[in-house]
Amino acid sequence: MRTSFQVSLSVWKALFLREAVFRLSTGRAAWFWLLLEPLSHVLMLMVLFGFVYHKVVNGIDGVIFIMTGLLGYFTFIRTATQCMNSVSANIALFTFRQVKPVDTVLVRAMLEGFIMLISIIVLLLGLSLFNYNVIPEYMLGVILSFLGLWLLGMGCGLVFSVGKELVPEIGNIINLLLRPLYFISGIMFPAMIVPQPYRSILMLNPLANGLEILRGSFSSSYHIPPETSLAYLFGSAIVLIYFGLALHLRFSRQLSSL
Amino acid sequence: MIVVKDVYKRYKSEHGPGKWVLQGLSFTIPSQTSVGLIGSNGAGKSTLLRLIGGIDQPSRGSVKRKCRVSWPLGFGGGLQGSLSGRQNTKFICRIHGHEDEIKERMKFIQDFAEIGEAFEEPVKTYSSGMRARLTFAISLAFKFDVYLSDELTSVGDAVFRKKAQQAFKDLAQTSGLIMVSHDANVLKEFCKVGIWLNNGQAHWFDKIDDALNSYHQSYTK
Repeated sequence: MRTSFQVSLSVWKALFLREAVFRLSTGRAAWFWLLLEPLSHVLMLMVLFGFVYHKVVNGIDGVIFIMTGLLGYFTFIRTATQCMNSVSANIALFTFRQVKPVDTVLVRAMLEGFIMLISIIVLLLGLSLFNYNVIPEYMLGVILSFLGLWLLGMGCGLVFSVGKELVPEIGNIINLLLRPLYFISGIMFPAMIVPQPYRSILMLNPLANGLEILRGSFSSSYHIPPETSLAYLFGSAIVLIYFGLALHLRFSRQLSSL
Repeated sequence: MIVVKDVYKRYKSEHGPGKWVLQGLSFTIPSQTSVGLIGSNGAGKSTLLRLIGGIDQPSRGSVKRKCRVSWPLGFGGGLQGSLSGRQNTKFICRIHGHEDEIKERMKFIQDFAEIGEAFEEPVKTYSSGMRARLTFAISLAFKFDVYLSDELTSVGDAVFRKKAQQAFKDLAQTSGLIMVSHDANVLKEFCKVGIWLNNGQAHWFDKIDDALNSYHQSYTK
């Protein structure tokens, strides 16, 4: 007999490989589209900032500014939305008693994080060909802020996935609420240009904290607001993950029945 | 041994909770017993099978499994259409056991299913017979104490059906079996005990023939 933990581990491995193979085997050159999809938006705005608008934003090169903001944002949003939809997408798999709804969410988060990691590396390597300095000044800060944003996405995904399954209308509301996040997270503007007291309100958004730290770690010449806090980002992520796991435990019965 | 204790089940419908499908079922299935579930369409046979298999949870009451119980064999519910037969098979092997057993199991499944090169093609391109062959082969590759089967033995062409029935018979001799079928001959062949589901209640019969008789009497009246 296998222990519960061994069963979970083998389920995670199987789900991860299955999902990865699925993503890589749909359509021609699926690996190319898989990488291009998160990057296309970033690339377009980078070209815009590089050729049309080229200037320094708040102490950092405009291209690097927009790239870090969007990559951080996509790490969060893609993880969150993928996780949110994973329960309904994998409903057929609950035929097997070993597979729990929470497994599919966690595995999707891991896969999405993995895809973003590769996308980020490819983009940075590509950018280095254009003579940009892509080596962050403070590597650990960059890694930590990406990790925090990813965890935040996973936490949101865990919570949303339960909400959406129990009350389908919640899914629509979440989609509506996520859209303005693009504009209030400081992707297109540095947080420093927002005057007080509004900046304190802006920095209540953990996503904005993550993006500012990401840029500040990339280049020390970027000015970040004094109230920015990495601990706040991780704190929100941990609270959300805890809450999401608790919801999954509480409603596991409702989630796995069709 | 499977202990079903005071199980109630109803599903969510568009307008709040639906009607009760199962109402207060209690019985114990001893190990190594072959049970046939009988009842009209919508009586809750498949629901009960899913509850025993642990795929679905009862609204009230509990189902305790003190042995290894399979998933309900039969319809290829867990197969993903866009993945190949091999990829699907590998996934099921992975969640069911240790890494080192996968190779032999894959080989066994491929040999038993006899679907040739289609094993490498996406499952959505399969005919229903090929699909049934694959699901049946997969279910035979794992050793369970109790097998759950939902209209399983009536699959594939004549040659395969014969082979499947033989394999199933061998299985029934060493393991427990809980099967849903509308074919009285199949039930008589494989099952000793019968459970007749009627109006949300379960009636236990020590002989499958008695269960079939009561079922027939209920609708010929």
